[in-house]
Order: sequence, then C-alpha cells, then structure tokens
Amino acid sequence: MFAFSPPRPSLSPELLATLRPVSLAKSRTLPLGEPWRALVPGGALRRGSTVVVEAPIGLGGLSLALSLLSESSTLGHWAAVVGVDDPGVVAMAELGVDLRRVLFVPRPRGAWAESAADLLDGVDLLLVRPPSRPAHGAVRRLMDRVRERGTVLIALSEPRAPWPLPADLFFSVTQAEWIVSSRLDARYLTVRVSGRGEATQSGEHVVVVPNRRGRAEAS
Amino acid sequence: MEQLLAIWIEPLCVEQPDGSTLRDTLALLDALSALCPFTEAVRLGLFVLPLRGPSRFFGGDEAVVRAVGQIVLDVVGTAPLLGVGEGLFCAELAARHEVIVALGASDVFRRTQPLSVLGRKDLTTTCQRLGLHTLGAFADLEPARVAERFNKHALALHRVARGELSAMEGQRDVRLARRLAQLRGEDDLFEEQTGFFGQRGAGDDRADAAAHRVRRRLGADAIVVANLCGGRAPEDRATLVPWGSPLSNVRDLAPWPGQLLAPSPATTLAHPVPIQLRDANDYPVVMGARGSLSAEPAAIIFSSPLRREITWHAGPWPLVERWWSRKRHRAHVQMVLATGEALLVVTEASRWWLVGIYD
Repeated sequence: MFAFSPPRPSLSPELLATLRPVSLAKSRTLPLGEPWRALVPGGALRRGSTVVVEAPIGLGGLSLALSLLSESSTLGHWAAVVGVDDPGVVAMAELGVDLRRVLFVPRPRGAWAESAADLLDGVDLLLVRPPSRPAHGAVRRLMDRVRERGTVLIALSEPRAPWPLPADLFFSVTQAEWIVSSRLDARYLTVRVSGRGEATQSGEHVVVVPNRRGRAEAS
Repeated sequence: MEQLLAIWIEPLCVEQPDGSTLRDTLALLDALSALCPFTEAVRLGLFVLPLRGPSRFFGGDEAVVRAVGQIVLDVVGTAPLLGVGEGLFCAELAARHEVIVALGASDVFRRTQPLSVLGRKDLTTTCQRLGLHTLGAFADLEPARVAERFNKHALALHRVARGELSAMEGQRDVRLARRLAQLRGEDDLFEEQTGFFGQRGAGDDRADAAAHRVRRRLGADAIVVANLCGGRAPEDRATLVPWGSPLSNVRDLAPWPGQLLAPSPATTLAHPVPIQLRDANDYPVVMGARGSLSAEPAAIIFSSPLRREITWHAGPWPLVERWWSRKRHRAHVQMVLATGEALLVVTEASRWWLVGIYD
C-alpha cells in the first residue's frame, strides 16, 4: 500500500451505527502450527491483534515466538523480526520458518517503533523485541496501526519490563526444563495462555519447544 | 509451424453481461478437450487444437473437422467457422475463409491476404499509398525500412507477415485461461501470496517497498535477510546479508559429517563473547590436545561480576577442520546453567567464547 494514504472521511455517528464490517475480524486469521492450533482459542492468530510472549531472558521466549511464525511463513506470508540482535537462523529454519520471506532489522538503534511501523505495511507477521522498557505512547500507536493494517504483532517482553498495554493474546513462560541425554534433547516449556475476548479463559499447557529435531510440538 | 484447426464461433465473441459466454466457453472447451486434450481457448469465440494427432486417430483431416463441427453444434447450437492453417495467425485466417490450407501452403496463403487483416489502419493506408496491397508485398520489405517508419508493434506485425512469428500480439487473451480456471473453482481468487519457484506475487512487492522504507530510515545495512550455507556449527551455517545484495542461488546440500545436531540455539551471536570456564576448585578449564577437558566445568564467568553455576554439560565435540593449523582446534560444549538457561560455547586455543543461547 501507500505510505501516505489519504485520511478516511469521517462518518456521522448515526450512519456508523447502521454499518456492518465487510468481513468479521475473527474470520480474517493467520494459521498457527502444531502445538498452538489446539491451545489457542480459535486455533489461529487473528489479523490486527497483538500477541505478547513474556519470558525471562534465555528461557525459551524467542523460540516460542518464532514457532508462532512458522506455519504462516511456510504458507507464503512475509514476516519481519525487529530488535532481535543475533537471530539464530539455523534454529528458525529448524522450527519451519521459510527464511526467504523473513526480513530482519537486528539493531534498530532506538528507532524500533518507527522501523516496526514501516514494516507493518509490507509483512503479515511482525516479531518485535523492544529495548528494555518500551514507551507507553509508542506502544499504543504501534498497536493501533497494527489493528488498522491487519498485521499480527508478536511482542517479546520480560517480566521485569512488561509490555505496557493489555494484549489480545498473552503467552507467559513460567517454567523451562531441559531434557538431556548425551546432548540437549528437548525443552519442556510450561506456558500460560490467556487473552481478551474469546481468549479470556486462561490455561496452562506444557509444550516442547524445541524438540529433538528443533521443531515445536505438544508434549 | 504446427498445423492447427481453428474454430471460430460468432455468438461467443461478445461477452454477455450475465456470464453465459464464459460458461458456454468452458462447456465447449471441456467437450473439445475430450476430442483433443491440447485444445486451447485462445480468446472468446476462438479455439484452436493441433490437428496432427486427432487427424491420425480419426482417419483424416475431414473426419476431425466433421467431428468438431458436430460437437460445437451440439454444445452451442450454431455451426462454427472452421479452418486449418500453420500457426495461430494462419489458422484464424483460414477459419474466416473456411478453408483447409494444405501442409506447406500456408506461406502462399498468407502472402495473398490483404494488409487489413493485420488490423492496423495507419500501416494499411501507408502501405497502400506505397503500392503494397498484400501481406506478401509487405513482408518483402527490409525490416530496417519498416523500423524507420513505424514503431516496434508494426515491426512485430512485419515478422508475423514474414512467418517468423506465429501469432499477432493481442490475438491471444492471456487472462482467459485464468478466468476459466476461476469459473471452474480451481484457481483461488484470494491467494495472491504464493508463487511457484521464484515467481513474485503482490506480497513480495509490498515487502520490498517496506524494506526500502526501513533502509531509507536506518541506512543500507540495517535491514538484512538470512540464508543458510554449508557448515558444521550454527554460527558457520547462517549468513546475514544486507537486503538487496545479490544472493547466491547455490544451495549447499552436501552432507557435513560432524555437524552439530538440532536443536540449534535461537540466539546465535555474530560476535562471540569471551567467557571463562572454571572447575570446582576455581581453576580455568582447558581442552587438551586429545580433545578432553582438563576438569569438569562448574562455573561460567561472563564479565567479572557475573558468574553462574553449571549444572550439566555435554561435549566437547571437537571439529576436525583445518588440522594442519595448530591453532584451529575448535570444540563445542553445550551446558545448562543453574538458572535454567542453556548455552553453546566454543573453545579455541585455550580460550572460551559464548556463541549461542538456547533462548
């Protein structure tokens, strides 16, 4: 689309009350891969929604967020990864992300929100790891923009620096346990899934991310 | 050029607003495909099929022409104009004249046609003033003389007149096949993003535009794309190159014996961080010449204040690469810390680096 699209004409409130959307928001979705299809309400990521993945650093938050990308990426949707300094490209390929359709902005140097907003028009999934404490205003503007464009925003946060606004879907890693043999085999993540709307009822699930082949699966 | 049977059906030429034209075209295409699977709907009202195979099967050109005429009469209800010629251009002309041009006679047939069949008024008028009334006379002009006076479209028509091209541009409706597939429900209207083997869709162009914007904002090397190449360790296999730089299409499918197995670290440090490994007595751990550790590592020290206990480790897995160089003795060690993180570290020349975090 265009970077400078003309502003929409404002409509009168009585007219707005009679209007119905062309397609319901819940029918416009992006598919989810194996363990999440059964665990997420609706079985898919709703376009225009914000997903927050909260995990202490080093305890599987990044792998979890990347596993949310994989199915859509395989089916031909573009994804962008902003603010992940050193992405593990091999791990992404093992999780099933199609690297030909991923753009990386590893070090946005303070302009993480701006570069994320730039990429919103061009990609269907946007994975963002904001710097230590994201500003409230920037986050609100970004989420509004995401809702308008129909992208899915996946934000990585830490318990120490939480995402400042409520998300449509919220993954929280509470426990990570490695299964080892002569090498690292699999990691069992205890994930609490909650959210708004249909996703209000929360549940705690154990998933394997990554397993012995580097993929995500149900335990 | 291949001998083609052209089927010209007058009522199907103009598209009706109720969509019946497309439906009839589809029904007729299916019926003709039963006769010859290589039947093509060239544009609305015009079908062609190669004649050689069906002619041998049905026993002669006349038999095929009769069978096709009967099929069209059954499906559409009107008799078609049928003609046989070499190449699409000649076949359509033959259909308008309702003749079967014998194999090898197409050249003569084409050369006797008037210039107006090319459908360019300016070309026809100019040539008639020059005394050129037939395609043959036009074809005898030097291509350079044609190019002096007309544009590239006329040059393409000149090649058609000479018999170098089999069809005029615009003779084939390129969108018709897609529309028929959509009517049949085979082609998905909404799936614009997938492309076969490097074909580009609308989604690719949008992504390119977005990447351009980020590059303008942050600089040329701020936005990168990744691809995989051959190697044993995850830090060797991944290459991140600035977006827009030429990608090598070579896919390394060779086996790499000794490759570190999945899972790979989700964070792979581009610039490894120097660390220290200590054993239980707080002595540094080093790897000996035979590829074994001097002691069990018990703690990892990042920078002086940050120290973590190691609960489990695996390795070292030496990489036997560049054995002629004494300094290149690399080995990887996986470890799990007391706080739950898993790390991939590498040792080389008695020093240790952190290369990956299983984030």
